[in-house]
Amino acid sequence: MHNTLEIRVHGRGGQGGVTCAKIVAAAYARLGKSAQTFGDYAGERSGAPVRAYTRIDDEPITNRNKVYTPDHLLVLDASLLGDDTLDGFAPGGLLLLNTPQPNASYGERFAAYRFATLDATSIARRHGIGTRSVVIVNTTLAGAYAKLAGISLEVLEATFAGLGVMSNFAAAQEAYEAVEVREPSLVGARAAVSVPLHNEREVGEIADHQSSPPTGLRTGSWSTQRPQYVENLAPCSAWCPAGNQVIEFIQAVARDGLDEAGRILGATQPLASVCGRVCPAPCMEGCNRKEYDGSVNIRGIERWIGDRVRLAPERVERRADAKRVAVIGGGPAGLSAAYELAKLGHAVTLYEGERELGGVLRTGIPVYRLPREVVDREIGAILDLGVEARCGEFLDATRTAAIAREHDATILATGLQELRPLDAPGAELAGIEQGIRFLHRVNLEGGARLSGHVVVLGGGNTAMDCARSALRAGASKVTVAYRRGEAEMPAIREEIEEAKHEGIELLVLRQPVAFHGDGRVTGVELAEVELGPPDDSGRRRPVVSARTSVLACDAVLLALGQSADTGFFPAGWELRDGRVYAGDEALTVFGAGDLATGDGTVTHAIGSGRRAAGLALAALGEDVEVFERPDRRCAVPVTDIRLDHFARAAMSPDRLLDVGTRVTSFDEVNLGMEHQHEVHRCFSCGHCTECDTCLVYCPEGIIRRGGPGYEVDYSYCKGCGICVEECPREAMRMSTL
Amino acid sequence: MTTQFVSANHAAALAVTLAGRANRGARGFGGGIYPITPQTECIEFLCTQEFDKGSLVRVESEHSAMAVCMGYSLSGARSFTASSSNGLAYMTENVYAASFYRLPIVMMAVNRTLGPPWNIWVDHGDTLMLRDTGWIQLYCEDNQEVFDSILMAYRVAEDRRVLLPAMVCQDAFVLSHTMMQTEVAEQEQVDRFLPELDLPHRVTHEPVTVGGLDFPHETEAHRAQHHAALGRVFDVYAEAQDEFEAIFGRRPADPVVPYRMEDAEHVVVSMGTTASTVRTAVDEAREQGFKVGALRLRMFRPWPEELLARWLVGRERIAVLDRDISLGHGGVLWSELRGLAPRDTLVQNYMLGLGGGDIRPGHITEILEDLRTREASGAPALMEVGQ
Amino acid sequence: MIEPLLDGMVGTAADRCEPLLREGNTNCGGCGMSIALNFLSHAVSRRPVQMVIPACCGIVTPGKFPNSAYGAPVVAATFASAAAVATGLARVAQLNGDDTRVVCFAGDGGTYDIGMATISAAAERNEDILYICYDNEIYGNTGGQRSSATPMGASTTTTPRGKGLDKKDMLSIMAAHGVPYVASVSLGHPEDTMRKMSHALETRGFRFLHVLSPCPTGWKSEPSEGIALVRLAIRAGLFPVVEVFDGWRTVINVEPEMSREALEEYLARQGRFRKGSGDIEAVRRAVEQHWKSLRARAALEDRDD
Repeated sequence: MHNTLEIRVHGRGGQGGVTCAKIVAAAYARLGKSAQTFGDYAGERSGAPVRAYTRIDDEPITNRNKVYTPDHLLVLDASLLGDDTLDGFAPGGLLLLNTPQPNASYGERFAAYRFATLDATSIARRHGIGTRSVVIVNTTLAGAYAKLAGISLEVLEATFAGLGVMSNFAAAQEAYEAVEVREPSLVGARAAVSVPLHNEREVGEIADHQSSPPTGLRTGSWSTQRPQYVENLAPCSAWCPAGNQVIEFIQAVARDGLDEAGRILGATQPLASVCGRVCPAPCMEGCNRKEYDGSVNIRGIERWIGDRVRLAPERVERRADAKRVAVIGGGPAGLSAAYELAKLGHAVTLYEGERELGGVLRTGIPVYRLPREVVDREIGAILDLGVEARCGEFLDATRTAAIAREHDATILATGLQELRPLDAPGAELAGIEQGIRFLHRVNLEGGARLSGHVVVLGGGNTAMDCARSALRAGASKVTVAYRRGEAEMPAIREEIEEAKHEGIELLVLRQPVAFHGDGRVTGVELAEVELGPPDDSGRRRPVVSARTSVLACDAVLLALGQSADTGFFPAGWELRDGRVYAGDEALTVFGAGDLATGDGTVTHAIGSGRRAAGLALAALGEDVEVFERPDRRCAVPVTDIRLDHFARAAMSPDRLLDVGTRVTSFDEVNLGMEHQHEVHRCFSCGHCTECDTCLVYCPEGIIRRGGPGYEVDYSYCKGCGICVEECPREAMRMSTL
Repeated sequence: MTTQFVSANHAAALAVTLAGRANRGARGFGGGIYPITPQTECIEFLCTQEFDKGSLVRVESEHSAMAVCMGYSLSGARSFTASSSNGLAYMTENVYAASFYRLPIVMMAVNRTLGPPWNIWVDHGDTLMLRDTGWIQLYCEDNQEVFDSILMAYRVAEDRRVLLPAMVCQDAFVLSHTMMQTEVAEQEQVDRFLPELDLPHRVTHEPVTVGGLDFPHETEAHRAQHHAALGRVFDVYAEAQDEFEAIFGRRPADPVVPYRMEDAEHVVVSMGTTASTVRTAVDEAREQGFKVGALRLRMFRPWPEELLARWLVGRERIAVLDRDISLGHGGVLWSELRGLAPRDTLVQNYMLGLGGGDIRPGHITEILEDLRTREASGAPALMEVGQ
Repeated sequence: MIEPLLDGMVGTAADRCEPLLREGNTNCGGCGMSIALNFLSHAVSRRPVQMVIPACCGIVTPGKFPNSAYGAPVVAATFASAAAVATGLARVAQLNGDDTRVVCFAGDGGTYDIGMATISAAAERNEDILYICYDNEIYGNTGGQRSSATPMGASTTTTPRGKGLDKKDMLSIMAAHGVPYVASVSLGHPEDTMRKMSHALETRGFRFLHVLSPCPTGWKSEPSEGIALVRLAIRAGLFPVVEVFDGWRTVINVEPEMSREALEEYLARQGRFRKGSGDIEAVRRAVEQHWKSLRARAALEDRDD
């Protein structure tokens, strides 16, 4: 035997081991050597172990056997370092291994060899060679080999060009620079060759072959990535300001029944029947079904649950070391804070200026939207937890300071009491009233009567409530004038639609500039508005023009917004980021609801109250989880939902009272959904529903039912990723091994 | 037993019918059939027959005919087809498959010249092309032998020690379309001679993959087993001869059939109907005082090496008659046989009757003259006898 | 979607005790043929089957003698012979009153090309065979050569610049034999797949199912995206999902969008179309022409009713 260099390449089908051996041989051939290269041809499939061989010599090569005693060993996949990879390998030989591990991490394991390592998979993947599950590392590793073998980059480049694989040269070049090598430090003996000259294994007769046992081929070793079951944030939950576990309660209706759904809802809030009527439902804005065939009627589902089962626990044991917490303000934020605290066994006193708890739920929202028995029922359930209510006293600064002193912590949730006026000529005329006051009269003071043409100024929910209440209070005609376009109106979409349906006219892009009348208003002068570029809120900024016209009317209701009234704050108190400070001293006093955030919806108030309760307890040294609004950006995007799996289906709408009946009474307009089929429209984004899609589509059939959910048998999983790709709802992910 | 006046094609079909019916208590009988001259009469006749439990599939090609037979056989039925010449060439892939699967299918092959140019007359080149397929090959000399060989073929093929397909070969027209008296057995006799087929590797509902992948080691073993099974054919054949004789009262011929060999110095070896013509010429030569004998090779696969060697010991000159040609080489029979001849024996190959040329005793006499007078063996000689 | 898929029968007592395709098979990751076999396994359930698979990827699948990754009896036939070997098995089952379903499972090469005469003859004889063609539009086992099922524009090792000819309409050819049941099966529509496989298993006589079987190796696509590709092919109208009863009653099961967007995405996601001539208009014209003819046939039913 003369000086033949024998090289053996171990790879997996699809990694290009045979081509790797070919590149190496071609590079040597360019150096004027005799070269020979060939691969094992058998039943290889993508991922199955494959060998390839290269011989290099100064003399013509006559040996056509496979390589049994390699001088150089190229291993394309560290998982191939199994039983027979090192067969016949001589000490001092070059071992080049594709591995994500640093060279040093192998310690003394290959100390008898010149041991080189390279993370070829990462390099090739970065250069987009192959597919996600089958990265083709051959050309990359060949680059590293060239460095080790003293083959110049120029020769390598010419070799790549000659073989038509120049598109992979950049990766090879990177490998050329990146390969790590350690010289041999131990002297060893050539590894034994485990391929005997004769195979003694018995082979049965074909004519006796009556049954075939399984192969036992552990195809899991072919894999470079593996699927896992995960839970991802659903947009509905991410968008819910109250932090409701939306997917969970919807799926609970479908799978476990209403009681369980109620329990899940009750864990985050006590006012599902209320929210199920008045919430603007940001969850439905975020719903991945929105653009597909319409959002899931989440608000309707919440109402369905809230109206049928109790959310709050039946009773809670008061803790022996209960904290004493005062909550000032009995609106939704205060109620939510009180509920959260009482659930945890603390002693809560709830202060309310009006005669009854509820805040805006009683004073602002009309009964045709929110019947008072609903409010009574849900507040009653909160009080059942042992919350003490003190109503009928509007607190001043002294009283507030005293309450704060008497309690371990205090939560301020007084809402927005300051009404925004309109600074325009004639604003003092009779017949012009703040909408909130009007609603207060309608809702709490035995009603109010209006007649003739009523103009409502504003575009929020208060404006809609005023307009629709005015209609019911006797107005013959109601017009809502708003300075931006209809699309920019902050009111709940359905409220606008229902208002229009009831005959209320919308006059958009109109800014009131003056009121006309002699003692009593007879008209409102409206200037036309053009929309300019977007402002900070993202809405287009209204630009008031000089073109005006007068709209004759008999009454005007102002619904232009509200702001916080901090007149009851003791001297020196300052609310910053939800907490009250006296100078630099942080008090155990926290703000909640509109007072703190000004977000303006019941749901926001509930979330804010819940957070304030957590902050207060945390400040008192309690080990509690403080509610944080989830990051919407982390929610499963619609692009990760396999829409193909879902047939288009229209939303189950709420049933509405007919228009004729509703405008003549304050009866509840929205009668809710007719049935609960809507829960089945839920994509369950990011949450496994055990739909069996992974089970059905796994080509290997190695996903099995396991307790709740499924188990993947990784000893056979080839890592194709179909289960993850086909998962309708992004409840699986692939991770690289 | 009745004597019928039938062509060899019909004789074959009659034997197949009896053999097929004999398996009625087991999984039945069937096969794929496809016409080709000069075999067509055989399958046409079969189509007029009733089987208690059997069916024939009129397929679209010889390739499928054999594939259908494999299906029947794998499911445990007794199976049969017939073909010839280019049909066999087209079928070849499945001819191999049938034997690699160790299926005891019987095929009647009428030896016909391969084309194009087209020629429908006798030539042994078609079945000899299939000599390496691992089938048993029997070559017949007369109508009765065709009938008997079909039954013998099933008996040997289905034996547990063998489990291999068998080909019964007969000469185009000289046998296939030639009518002669033939003794046709009774069903009851055939039932006794052919036990019901119980294929050990019959496909049931057990998970078994028939013919997946073999790597070199498996193929080596399977070839060795196949080869060994062919080696066991001689003993099984001899037992079947005894049994046949006991039931039917006549003894099927041995794998190698001698004629006036007792003191023969010169021997003429041939296959098929040529052997009858050879016997006439041998008789004439004997009358002229020449010590001439003849051997007919009835079984070409497995190759009856020992029997042949025994008959050839001590002979001075051997003429090997081939009704075939391995182009670029010589006669197939010659090329296999010449290695068996003792060192000092002169062996000369004569290829004659190719393409159906009518071999007459005069041609054989010429060959004997050449054999007697030549100084040494020469290149294979192609003798033209056609008109 | 109707959850759980397939009524939740997979892996329960209603499923086949042993899957037709066992773990430890040699198929590539993401192989469409594996998925088709799994569906077949669920559809077969308790019925006794014998399978015939010609020399194709499906016969490398089980691995080396004497082991096998098939959990059912499988006969490996020569390339052209599946329908003929199956004929023999089915005939003997019939002779013996066995309640066996004989199923051929063959690729497009073994069906459209070399096995064409065999399958046509078996269909003409109306043999009691369920013939399933798993069509990956390529000779996959030999490393990716064109077949008559290769679509226009696809590059293969024997059409390196893309195939300039259209795919053969095997479904119509099979339907023209007048056999009881012919259908194309969408792996992207599990209920459709199960319904058709179950119907085909229950029908007697010759039944033909055509499955578009994604082949990541041959299509040069992401192994995970095979099923998504099938759905795109359907949306683009490239793979009509239809069934034909008794050779004439034609039902369109999935309405395609026929959208250019779906077609472009289908082509863009596969490396095999990257080198092609890229004549998307020619592909569209062929697809539209084909649908015209399909719709005309589907309309026949209405007229007769």
